[in-house]
Amino acid sequence: MLTIIEIVIRFLSILIGAFIAGLIGSLTGLGGGTVLVPVLTLFYGVPIIYATGASLISTIATSAGSASAYAKEKIANIRLGVGLEVATTTGAIVGSLTAVYIYDHHLSWLVYVIFGMVLLGSLIPTIQRGKYEIPKILKPDWTTRIFQLSGSYYDAKLHKNVEYSGVRWWLGEIIMFFAGLISGLLGIGSGALKVLGMDWAINLPMKVTTTSSNFMIGITAATGSSIYWYAGYIQPFIAAATAIGVLIGAFLGAKILVRITNRSIRWIFFAILMFLGIQMVLKGLYIINVITISPYIQFAISTIISIISIIILFQVMKKIEARGDVS
Amino acid sequence: MKFDRDLTISYALRIGVSISMFFIIVGVILLFVKNGGSGYTLAQIASYHSQMNSKFIYLGLIPKGLLDLDGIFFIATGLWVLVFTPITSVVIALVSFYLTRNKLYIALSIIVLFNLFFAMLVIPHI
Repeated sequence: MLTIIEIVIRFLSILIGAFIAGLIGSLTGLGGGTVLVPVLTLFYGVPIIYATGASLISTIATSAGSASAYAKEKIANIRLGVGLEVATTTGAIVGSLTAVYIYDHHLSWLVYVIFGMVLLGSLIPTIQRGKYEIPKILKPDWTTRIFQLSGSYYDAKLHKNVEYSGVRWWLGEIIMFFAGLISGLLGIGSGALKVLGMDWAINLPMKVTTTSSNFMIGITAATGSSIYWYAGYIQPFIAAATAIGVLIGAFLGAKILVRITNRSIRWIFFAILMFLGIQMVLKGLYIINVITISPYIQFAISTIISIISIIILFQVMKKIEARGDVS
Repeated sequence: MKFDRDLTISYALRIGVSISMFFIIVGVILLFVKNGGSGYTLAQIASYHSQMNSKFIYLGLIPKGLLDLDGIFFIATGLWVLVFTPITSVVIALVSFYLTRNKLYIALSIIVLFNLFFAMLVIPHI
């Protein structure tokens, strides 16, 4: 049995873990849940169903917290967000029901593997992010007019009003469906996929995509939450600690983000995320005995791989940037 | 005064998160002070493999749980306020589309709300 002091320490340790997850999540733009689930399952030994349940709830808290700031600045496009939510909420229902099926059939290893791969995959757009503030203007198509994809916002950095109009609403909706599916399945916001949908498919400015995606994440997560609730994936003790921790972490992260000038700090975060991604895949394969190496060696392998790949990536990016300056 | 959708949503989200955090924090304090809640001891609730989860927290018991100052039901209330916070923003958006007579987006936001309540009210009973 746990003593009261042990329980207090446990509560605070989950809170601190969630705080760090929220901080890293907001600094990398991936959101709290993406870091929270690996932290809770790998380091704390929380069962993955409770980790994803707590994560889904925390995702709403951070989304609402940051979206309230963005909505006030009128950068997030609420109309566009609500329109795309048609697909994400549908996806979230399918994803949450898939999660229920997976856990009912004792296939939780699948969630680990998919989670790890999604985490590694979401590093790609995050690394590329920030190249263009404003996208190349594409010729408006029929969806631009029908779905009223245009808008404008005041860019404080460029000191001007940026007008934009999106295209390919249908393609955005398709990607959003999968973003919702992943969100429901893994208990995360899947902001990286939402950004991909709006940035690559609908061709919107980066500021609009990130802020609108932030607004949308909460609505997607709310859809999955009630299915998670009735399935019994939300453990009040863990969910309470994580919701508070992630919210504080994300709030502080947003404040720090504005001040971070040294971009190399972000590379350390990418190394952490890569490490967590590889660990999740390994753990999933370990559960079904596809790999049998001990968790300590797995730990060493993921550490080495992530450090080496980040160093390589860092050098490559440096070269690309140097070349870009010349031409 | 003109209805400012973005500002209203911003306030709604902030108020929602604040109310939710209030209930969650009070709930946690009550859990510790009363050494448990909803018929479980604190140690049982704090276990990572706890059998005490949302499946057994019946929402119909919330009013009584709140009156009994039961920490579990305070946390449950906080979590549900959190779930309803983004839903509020969709409702506010719907109102703004109604005011501007934007028929297409009235329809789209109704579909979103339908999905939300379908997940909440219909799926658990299938």
